[in-house]
Amino acid sequence: MTTVEVPDASAVTGGTPPPTRSWRTALSSTEVDTRLVGMIVSLAAIWIAFHILSGGAFLTSRNLWNLSVQSTSIAIMATGMVLIIVSRNIDLSVGSLLGFLGYAMALVQTDGIFAFFGISFTAHGLSDKAYVWIIALAFGLLLGALVGTAQGFIVAYVGVPSFIVTLGGFLVWRGAIFRMGDKQGQTLAPLDDTFQLLGGGAKGNLGEWKSWLVALLACAGIVLSIVLARRRRKRHDLGVRPLWVEIGLAAVGCAAVLVAVGLVANKYDSPRTGKPTGIAIPVVILIGVTLLMSYLARRRRFGRYVYAYGGNPEAAELGGINTRRTVMLTFTLMGVLVGVSAAIQTARLNAAVTNLGVQNELDVIAAAVIGGTSFAGGIGTIFGAVLGAFVMQSLRSGMVLLKIDSPSQDIVVGIVLVTAVGIDSLLRQARRQWAVGALVVGLVLSAVIIQSGRP
Amino acid sequence: MRFGRVAACAGVTLALVLAACGDDSGDNATATTAGGGGAATTGAAGGGGDCVVGVSWNNYQEERWAKFDEPAIKDAVEAGGGSYISNDAKSSAETQASNVENLISQGAKVIIVLAQDGTAIIPSVQSAIDQGIPVIAYDRLIEDKDALYITFDNVEVGRLQAEAIFGQVPKGNYVIIKGNKADANADFLRSGMDKIIADPVAAGDIKIVGETYTDNWDPAKAQTEMEQFLTANNNDVQAVLAENDGMAGGVVSALEAQSLAGKVPVSGQDGDQAALNRVALGTQTVSVWKDARELGKAAGDAAVALCANPDAASVSGTAAFTTPGGIDVSSILLKPQPITQDNLDVVIDAGWTTKDNVCKDVAAGSVAACG
Repeated sequence: MTTVEVPDASAVTGGTPPPTRSWRTALSSTEVDTRLVGMIVSLAAIWIAFHILSGGAFLTSRNLWNLSVQSTSIAIMATGMVLIIVSRNIDLSVGSLLGFLGYAMALVQTDGIFAFFGISFTAHGLSDKAYVWIIALAFGLLLGALVGTAQGFIVAYVGVPSFIVTLGGFLVWRGAIFRMGDKQGQTLAPLDDTFQLLGGGAKGNLGEWKSWLVALLACAGIVLSIVLARRRRKRHDLGVRPLWVEIGLAAVGCAAVLVAVGLVANKYDSPRTGKPTGIAIPVVILIGVTLLMSYLARRRRFGRYVYAYGGNPEAAELGGINTRRTVMLTFTLMGVLVGVSAAIQTARLNAAVTNLGVQNELDVIAAAVIGGTSFAGGIGTIFGAVLGAFVMQSLRSGMVLLKIDSPSQDIVVGIVLVTAVGIDSLLRQARRQWAVGALVVGLVLSAVIIQSGRP
Repeated sequence: MRFGRVAACAGVTLALVLAACGDDSGDNATATTAGGGGAATTGAAGGGGDCVVGVSWNNYQEERWAKFDEPAIKDAVEAGGGSYISNDAKSSAETQASNVENLISQGAKVIIVLAQDGTAIIPSVQSAIDQGIPVIAYDRLIEDKDALYITFDNVEVGRLQAEAIFGQVPKGNYVIIKGNKADANADFLRSGMDKIIADPVAAGDIKIVGETYTDNWDPAKAQTEMEQFLTANNNDVQAVLAENDGMAGGVVSALEAQSLAGKVPVSGQDGDQAALNRVALGTQTVSVWKDARELGKAAGDAAVALCANPDAASVSGTAAFTTPGGIDVSSILLKPQPITQDNLDVVIDAGWTTKDNVCKDVAAGSVAACG
């Protein structure tokens, strides 16, 4: 949950502006991403609306805790999809690949079989060992990296459009599930006990004091990153934000983390022990992935190259960037992240099934796009994509709480997707009135569908 | 003499090439025989006894057909003095249409069709029937009044699921996790459940606190749905009717996270290995099992009967069945079997699964079938 309240995005209420400034200049002086702020506001609006409609069942610590776990798989993959879409590509294979990697990891645990298409290698007795979970996980991530690199290679070096390559992957990986280890697609269960912790579940969480520790570390991290950024900008003689804004940002960020841990994670008592549950392990993984990916995208050379290439491929190429390698690596990264999500999903379900991850590619792309990633390339943030995933899952979970059937859910998610991107595109063209119009149309349509879909 | 030998060789080669071409193009699929022994019955059909039964599989790649259905059909046909030929449409409705014609030209007297598409196959089926060749719609409905429909009774599956759960929880809050909305089976199952629970629901003994369709029968979606229903009802759920074993797995994982697994009865169907293990462990109450071999035997016996008398209604055990399209067809609806902890030995003895699979992690002495 802590990832929702990202530090540099939560300054709408940050500090009290001096009376001489208007709110608009105050807002711009904070240099926060207004799109991100807009999204947090939308998310809050969705939550409040569902809370009222469901008669107070949505904004409970238990439901928000559920929501945090249910969103992780899509959110993790969305962080990778951002870089793919930013560099003007697409990956349609993630859902199938998720099923494939999940099945591969489960096969290691249930039978000690390492399988890849026709090639398979059996390690007898491995499935009984205590460390099998880490071998399975490593195998899954490695396989994900291999597959991602192969797809990326064909896109970047052979020059086949990514839509085609990953459409091929979409078919290949789903089909490959049925040919692994002579299982012909049989459900694999149960999985290793330690591996199951990756999915949350009854035991897969941090507990009370560790959660507080994470919260305090996060708080310290926020303060430290603000201090470091300020120092760095000063060193390079760049303008710095007013001190009150910096302090406000740090305060809001810290408060958000502490609230998320105190009122959600630690407020929800574990049904097993009766003690506070704490942050679920998959959510911890999501936080780690988000921070790492954000660092990679914003601070590392690779990330900057991706954005440079997406903004203007020719210029990036002429500027001496090894664009082919950069593009290939975005797919490698995507493969690894799909491996992480596959581990979480199979662990959560405590089974590998052939239709795991069906249609996930669409959810992942939708999350990235709702999060402000542009298909024109060069624009998109990691935090935005994670928020996008939370928006999608909030809609789905909220509608299940309202007992709305899955076909109606799909209609609403579809409407929200187009509305969100439409508003974003209109705001980019500074057509504010149209944007408001689009918002109203989208809201009315969704409301009609939700209301008429209620039993 | 020499010329004659060359010509014979050339002739044989040409025949082989043509056969190979036919195989590749797929619309002239060659006959496969049971057991994959390669003893081609193609062409020899006329001499293989009077009752030649041709089977058009929609997708032989799926494990089940080769492993359970085909041997059962073949055994029943041969026991009745007939012979068996088959081909595979590889999941293509067009290929299946020409496959049916191929079976006829190979001399089939009765045709069994596992339809890829129950509507697209109608013209071929009708043409066969017009030629005096009876057709059996195997497992999947073909909306043709003259085709004999043989399947497991899906309404009965739903009824058995509800019966097993209702036996344990006659009063309380129920959650119903249904399958794909586009799949007619989801509603057949649900209507079967109503035969048991409609009255208690009306009487107020049972309250349905959550009911939803699930896209693609997706277990992960079913898990999320169950989590939300538990949240909405503050865990006040006493029973779950899940329509198949995959979704039951998702439900059990959701229950496990609330330490409710084994306390809340859950239904399923298919006799999945993982589900049978859950039944042994006590986290799933029932898996309604449809023995494919029984279905195969019924179809084989019916085919032999149809050879003697092509009127579908004359086959023993048939009853009238009104299709969703409003056509009255003759049908044989087999009874599925509910598998619970008490009769797990049935699936083990039948060779459907192994004791090792079913009894994995089961405490010794807790389940009779596991010893």
